[in-house]
This record gives sequence, C-alpha cells and structure tokens, in this order.
Amino acid sequence: MNLHIDDHQEGDVTVLKLSGEIDAYTAPQLKEKLLALVEENPTVHVDLARVSYMDSTGLGVFISALKTSKEKEHALKLINLQENVYRLFNITGLNDVIDIENTVRGELS
Amino acid sequence: MSSLKSDISNYKELLSQYLESRDEAVLYQAEQFSKQTIQQNISPDEIVNEHYQALQELIPNMDETVKDSFQFLIETMISYGLAYQEHQVLREKQIELRSEIGVAANMQETLLKTQIPDYTTIDIGVKSVPAKEMNGDYHHFIRDTQGNLGVAVADVIGKGIPAAFCMSMIKFALESFSDNQIYPEWVLDSLNRVVFRNLEEGMFVTMFYGLYDIYTHQFYYSSAGHEPCFVYRSDSDEFEKIDAKGLLLGVENDVIYEQRQTTITKGDYIVLLTDGVTECRMGDRFLKQQEVLDVIKLYADLPSSDIAENVFKHFERLQDFDLRDDITIIVIKRNE
Amino acid sequence: MEKTLSSVIIKKEWDIVGARQAGRKIAIDLGFGSVDQARITTAISELARNIYLYAKHGEITFEKVYGVRKVGIKIIASDRGPGIREISSVMKDGYSTSGGLGAGLPGVKRLMDEFDIQSDDHGTKVTVIKWARQ
Repeated sequence: MNLHIDDHQEGDVTVLKLSGEIDAYTAPQLKEKLLALVEENPTVHVDLARVSYMDSTGLGVFISALKTSKEKEHALKLINLQENVYRLFNITGLNDVIDIENTVRGELS
Repeated sequence: MSSLKSDISNYKELLSQYLESRDEAVLYQAEQFSKQTIQQNISPDEIVNEHYQALQELIPNMDETVKDSFQFLIETMISYGLAYQEHQVLREKQIELRSEIGVAANMQETLLKTQIPDYTTIDIGVKSVPAKEMNGDYHHFIRDTQGNLGVAVADVIGKGIPAAFCMSMIKFALESFSDNQIYPEWVLDSLNRVVFRNLEEGMFVTMFYGLYDIYTHQFYYSSAGHEPCFVYRSDSDEFEKIDAKGLLLGVENDVIYEQRQTTITKGDYIVLLTDGVTECRMGDRFLKQQEVLDVIKLYADLPSSDIAENVFKHFERLQDFDLRDDITIIVIKRNE
Repeated sequence: MEKTLSSVIIKKEWDIVGARQAGRKIAIDLGFGSVDQARITTAISELARNIYLYAKHGEITFEKVYGVRKVGIKIIASDRGPGIREISSVMKDGYSTSGGLGAGLPGVKRLMDEFDIQSDDHGTKVTVIKWARQ
C-alpha cells in the first residue's frame, strides 16, 4: 500500500495531509517531506485522518520531526488520528511529548 | 568454448528436426536446451547468432534482407547479453552478502544469549523468533544475589544490523548494574540515559522491565513505551492487563518511569510480549487484543515453555508462516 | 607492431555513429564475425558516449595489433575531461545501471578481451583490444 503526501497552507498553518499506510517502505518519503516542512514553517499540522495503519518506523519519523521543531522553536501538531494510530502514540508515551489533538476519531472505513 | 561448440551443432540439429516434424517433443528439447545454455552463461546474443548460423546452413538461398535483419537483431541483443551477465554477477554477490548476514546473525545470537534461571517456585518459558535474519527483539534475565528474577523484554525500532548493535549496548548496560535487588523504575531510568547519550537519531527502544520477588511473590514492573503485558489470574480465569506510564528509551534525557506492583498467586502466570504478537495481522485486519489472550488461554494448563511455543506456532500459522515482525513471548508461571 | 588505421573526433552525439562506422569497417576487414562486430561497435558506442557526456570533447583511435598467430583491433578512447576519481567504483557492477549509462565500463570490459584505463585530473584514457579468432 502507498502513502499519499499532500501539503497546503491554511492561513498561518502549514497542513500536511497524509493518506495510506506509514511503514518501513513509506516512512523515508514522509521523513524527507515532514522534516523539510518543520524546518521551514513555524506551525505545521499533520492530518492523519486517512492513515489507517502506522508501524514503529512511523514513530521514528515523528520523533525526528519533534526534535527538529524544538530546535527551531516551531510548532508541530498531529491531528485527526484514527484510534489504532493514536494507540501507538499512547502506548509509547509519546502523547506526553508530542502535541496531539485529543479528539480521536473512530476508524474511517 | 568446446561445450558451446557442441551446443551450436545441437541447436542446428534441433531446429532442423523441428522444421521437418513440427513436433512438440522437439520444442520440449528446445526448452531443455535453453536451461542448459543459461547454466553455461551463454548470453542471448550468442543464441541469436546460433540461430542465424544454423539457418544459413539449413536454407542455403536465404534472402539477403533476412540475413541483414539478423545482424540488426544481434546488435539489439548485445545489451541484453551484458545486462544478463551483470545480473549473474550481482546474484553471486547477493549470495555472498546473505552468508555474511548469516554470520552476523549467528554472532548476534551468541552475543545476546541469556540463560533462563532455574527456579522451583516459578516456571519460565521463552520463544523469540526474528522475522528476518537479524532479531530486533531482545529479552534478558538477571538473577540477583538474593535470588530474585529480573526480566527485560525490548523491541528496537529500526531493524537489522543497527538494531543488533543497539541491543548489545543494552545488554552490557543491563549487566553492569549492581547485583542487588534492582527496581524497574531505576533500571529504565538508567538505561534511558545510556540510550539517549549513545544512540543516533531515529533509533528508539521500547522495554518492559519486571522484578519478581521470589520470596513474597510480588511482581514489580515499569514500562518504557512498551506494549501492555498481562497476568493470568487462576481464580477468575481472566487476564489482567499490566502497564505503567513511561516514554520510549532514548527520546528525552529526563524521564520519570512509573513503577507498579502486583501479587502473583499460585497458578497465575505473567505474559510478556512484543508487538509482533499484538500487532499480528490477519489478511487485512489486525488481531484484537482479546483474541490474542483467548489463544494464550487455550494452553494455560501446559508448562510455560509449551505455552510460549504453542502461542508462537498459532500466530505463525495465522500469518501464513511469513512473519511481518519479530515475535517474543515470555511466560512466567507460579507453581507453588 | 601497431598501426594506427584511423581516428574519430567526438564532439557531438552524431560522432558516436561515425566512430561505430569506422570501427565496424576495420572489424569486417580483420574477419570478425557478426556477434563480435556487434560487440565491438557496442563497446565503441559506450566509450564514445562517455566522452560525449562527461568530457564533451575527445577522440577514438583505432589500431591494428598483432599477437602470436592472431590479429586484433585496438581501440583507444581519450579525453581531457575531469577524469574519474575512483576507478574501482565505476568498474563495479550495478554502478552504471542507476545512472542510466547503459552497459558502462564493466560492460565494455566484458565485451572486449583486454581492458585498461588510466585517469587523472587532466583526462581519461581507455584502451581495449578484441582479438579475432583465427
């Protein structure tokens, strides 16, 4: 399965819309795009509404992005997480260090 | 070259037989011929040339245009021949690399080997299987000077050879801790600092660490972003989730790891897992936690090592014997 | 004993065809068969294209060489381009495939019987020989 990555500007916020699965195969392209965005833009929201699956390599990407955003004093926020994706952030304790919008959506079919 | 010569005459022979008889049996021989030539590293352009030479002998008055078209065909086949030879070389290299990785995997196994301590009051079983050659899961047992059991199960994010290096570091850090009763919150706090300082960006570790007090049957545990583990309660015939708050190892320098404790009574058993089990995929869907526990329950009456073995076999079959992730299952059962 | 038969200047892509033509004519004269002719011209293409792409300007020279009871064609491709820093890495299989260079230098080596390359900051010289079977 593929991952589609799409970014656009909503006022001051740069929104990165993802759809598909984040795994060892798709993580490198996500990392490249996300790190560049976080480096250059003061506020980045990652919309995960259409991400149905993410494995631990995906976590690695978001942790790297978090580090970059902290260094640059930029804001990074994850929004619209599906339940099983949110579960991963919750288990690993990352929900305490990454800004995650707390309205969790159920699975989109 | 002599074998090639004999093939040339063989090809002409076969071709002429076929042109006379149009017989399927000859086509079958042609198929065998092509396998033979592949074995002998004969490239496609040489086969085309053989065909051309054979035709010239079989059809003496061949049209000049047809002859020239063969020159054209040979030219176009030259690059295929080169690509074929390059492919052969790369295939040999791949075999070489694979055997090197095999050696590394063996070394990893030897280096990271952990002895399962022997107790009369508790029974310990382990099954750990890598999805690929190198295992990204790690488990470790420590028996302290009072005889208590320390148990760690860890999953390194980022697989393969870098993960193996990372695990050696964790093993040696764990072994350097004192032999006195060491509590999980302290172990994870210390390990976190080691991992944070030494791991390159993009590599992280989840770990569940437990200390089983062999005299009071208290089980102390902490988690660094690891999957929840479970205790089977014999009196209620139910599983109880055991989990504690704590961040993955290596993300931040100062992390507070919560420590909890629970009493293990006779007939109870503790199940420690990595996410290869809990994220087990069945076709398009993921296995629900309850289903995982139901499977584990099926084997509750067996010794710990048989529980671990059977649970592994069950999930291996569910995944059509093609593991997507490393799987580790540890079972600790109180006997008396 | 060596004898220079001809040489072709490589400046534009079209010159590659000229080099092939010159090489094929010599190959036919020396009695090479169809497959060897195709191999020789493919090697010439690769060498000439390398000059055209990386050095912009260079020359392909053809010589007739004699061995013990054999005769062959010697092709020298020389340029004054930037040179190849690590020859061993461009001679590895799989190096050229990703760069879209076609068969690359390992391919040229396979197509011919003898292969030599010298390179420094002032240019590159590739010398190859194919012996005719007599």
